[in-house]
Amino acid sequence: MQDTINGNQRIIDGLGQCSETGTVHHTVDSFGNAFHWFRLGTPRHLTRAAALLSETGARLCMVTAYNRRHLSEPMQEICYHFEVAGVIYNLTVILNGEWPVVPSITPFFANADWHEREMMELYGINVADHPNPRRLFLDESFERGILNQAVPLSIMMNGASTTDLWERILADREKQS
Amino acid sequence: MTSTAVNTFSIPLGPVHVALEEPVYFHLDVEGETIRKVELTSGHVHRGMEAMATQRNLTKNTTLTERVCSLCSNSHSFTYCMAAENVLGLDIPPRARYLRVLAEEIKRVASHLFNTAIQAHVIGFKSLFMHTMEVREIMQDVKETVYGNRMNLAQNCIGGVKCDLTPELLSYILDMVDKMEPGVEEIRELYATNSMVLGRTKGLGLLPKKDALRLGVVGPVARGSGINIDVRKDSPYAAYPELEFDTIVNDGCCIHSRTTVRLNEIFESFRLIRQCCRRVPEGPTKAPMRQIRAAEACARTEAPRGEVFYYIRTNATDIPARLKWRVPSYMNWEALGVMMKDCKVADVALITNSIDPCVSCTER
Repeated sequence: MQDTINGNQRIIDGLGQCSETGTVHHTVDSFGNAFHWFRLGTPRHLTRAAALLSETGARLCMVTAYNRRHLSEPMQEICYHFEVAGVIYNLTVILNGEWPVVPSITPFFANADWHEREMMELYGINVADHPNPRRLFLDESFERGILNQAVPLSIMMNGASTTDLWERILADREKQS
Repeated sequence: MTSTAVNTFSIPLGPVHVALEEPVYFHLDVEGETIRKVELTSGHVHRGMEAMATQRNLTKNTTLTERVCSLCSNSHSFTYCMAAENVLGLDIPPRARYLRVLAEEIKRVASHLFNTAIQAHVIGFKSLFMHTMEVREIMQDVKETVYGNRMNLAQNCIGGVKCDLTPELLSYILDMVDKMEPGVEEIRELYATNSMVLGRTKGLGLLPKKDALRLGVVGPVARGSGINIDVRKDSPYAAYPELEFDTIVNDGCCIHSRTTVRLNEIFESFRLIRQCCRRVPEGPTKAPMRQIRAAEACARTEAPRGEVFYYIRTNATDIPARLKWRVPSYMNWEALGVMMKDCKVADVALITNSIDPCVSCTER
């Protein structure tokens, strides 16, 4: 494994300034590929970070929205994954409050369009100034943020059989007797 | 002025059988026969697989992710396993690295030939379609003989590979590649020179380099527009850093240049398969599992259609808190708007096929 972790110092410094202190870390996989992780305390810094990445010729790889409620924490996060010269820069944005809003990064990255539409329909995240906020995959008849309601199968199965069934069996037995 | 009003229509196309037997629905604004604007609606085969992934343990998710897509099934389990290994801090043994690359390149050959065959089918050149599929059948036989399956190889597992290949199987693969190469050479020649193929593909479905960069397209679609992008070279993984191969780039920006990239890549895959069969080191094929901590990691590989990206977040249990992936087709769909503009309605299926679309993996 190599001693130094590859990366563009200008991006690392720039994103580090947008991030919360003490949250920046760098990892490397077993093939020596570098990953840099940043956490923005507020979505307001996202536009500045996206502008910096856009200037350096970054490519948006993916956007992951997730709900920390699965980790028993009442908040949502979005992780933006960018690539510059084979190095991945991950930018996590923490969303707070009842109505999570992030600014759209489509002015800097045209391919953010689908990713943002997907997190709107799956996680109910509001994207400010999205150029085309239509549904991406799911029909309008589904509620927004359908994945926020996702219940683990084991919890859904617990108590799925209510007293109704038992009462019906008892009623049937009384009829027979 | 009135004639424009009369000749302008909005026509629906799809959702069934636009190019493949997979549903996607186009809204085309046409002026006579010429397309002016494209919008697409998808979601017909949305399966909610990302939600399913957070209800299964890490091992079960290898099986689930292999079923995201058919033609690049191996790339999904490969990248998922890499993401899981990154999050666990696992190093896979050298033999497993080579065997993973071997399976991946076998799948790439079959995938590229399938797309090329479908192009002949859409053009209406049935004999070329049949011929290409017949040559591809050799690779299907290899998959069936070596891995026991023609589609989902089930080769990857967290920590290495499941199926260790005997020297006999490795020499069998080398023989089959030798048998197949002249066939593919012939197909490449046909696609490069046949007037019927060239008439329908050359200079059509243009994606200028500027738009390709703006839309962040990946794989042969990007490389067919002159962008030198290949995860195997840009951030080498598995055995790729030790193997010799070239990235194929073509700056024709049209359907034909994308096909040329795919056909030439098959020969690079042959090179890789041969090197893997000859150089694969002896040793174990799996590394033992480690303790799962709360962590996050990502991984990416070059699938036949382009970059696959996986993100995993664990919460110290064996069930991931979040597993997200982005397939190459996801980035390439939007490019269709650029490619189809000012083309004829009759070319829509051909242009759609030229991005080698996969609907089921786009929607997951």
